[in-house]
Amino acid sequence: MFLEKILSIGKKEQEVTSNMRKHIKSLCSTCDLFRTALEKHDRNLMRNLIDLERESDSTRREIISKIHEGAFLPYLRPDLCRFVEIVDHVFDVLEDTVLYYLDGKIPEQIKNECIRVAYLNSKICEMFLITFEAMLKGDDLREKTLAIRIYEKKIDDIKFSLIRDIHKIPISNFWEGKILSDFISGLTNISDIIEDASDYLQIINVSMK
Amino acid sequence: MKLQELMTTKIESVDADKSVYDAVEKMVDRRIRALLVRFSGKDPHHGIITARDIVFKVLAKGLSPKKIKVSEIASKPVVCFDKDTDINEAASLMEKKKIARAFICEGEKIIGVISLIDIMAGALIMRAKR
Repeated sequence: MFLEKILSIGKKEQEVTSNMRKHIKSLCSTCDLFRTALEKHDRNLMRNLIDLERESDSTRREIISKIHEGAFLPYLRPDLCRFVEIVDHVFDVLEDTVLYYLDGKIPEQIKNECIRVAYLNSKICEMFLITFEAMLKGDDLREKTLAIRIYEKKIDDIKFSLIRDIHKIPISNFWEGKILSDFISGLTNISDIIEDASDYLQIINVSMK
Repeated sequence: MKLQELMTTKIESVDADKSVYDAVEKMVDRRIRALLVRFSGKDPHHGIITARDIVFKVLAKGLSPKKIKVSEIASKPVVCFDKDTDINEAASLMEKKKIARAFICEGEKIIGVISLIDIMAGALIMRAKR
């Protein structure tokens, strides 16, 4: 409860935490939409995700400005800003992955595994939101971050099998191969960055105690 | 929590008429402990070959893995669960059947595999969500 007390001192702090929550919820919706678009091969829905990345940029700017206006104690500000930047980086990687998807074509041999990664990305994001809420309450995050690492490990395992599989796929030119490789890197890096963000939550949580 | 959340969808398999040596090679290469066994011809059922089968039924008896076919030591049919099965229910069924992994099936089609480590991971995730 200590953290909740610190974080809810003033109006500015409340605005920041509420925007941070909005930012993470928007990340969860984006991951869900990405998964649906990939499952349905819906290119229009994929394009909509680019707008969500722009919205995320604006939320990030709002949060950072509020922090610099004086929300929270000074020693907390750099860690909070860094956390918000990491979350925003997930949006950037998601956007790049969408662009690679729109530029190329996913071979049938790896389609199901890519959908599986997108599904697990949604799940890790859901867990990330739970972890953030727990941090606001000042709860111990050990079990939450472990759950995030479990999902991340699952995605890592799929990543290695995807890399092995794409070696066997015939590629007609350099760019086709590069786009496919970048798409897989983006898709499988999302969980890595969310894991980094959750580690940051842990750091913020510990530094409060 | 449902099994589909934790299952591994990449299923490594070996043909039933291959040698146990081929199976060992694949398992060591992929760092996995079991392979789905695909039978050819009219037999629609799949089997499973595990590291335990290979060690106890072949290596410990001093037999040559190159001379024994996968079909000779594979267990059949495989245990299948629905993807919507709850992990606690799956854990209790696996305990009753004394198995370390089961397949997730949709009709005749195998869509995933679940192992005890996945069940443990699922239990931890459920705790974290509380």
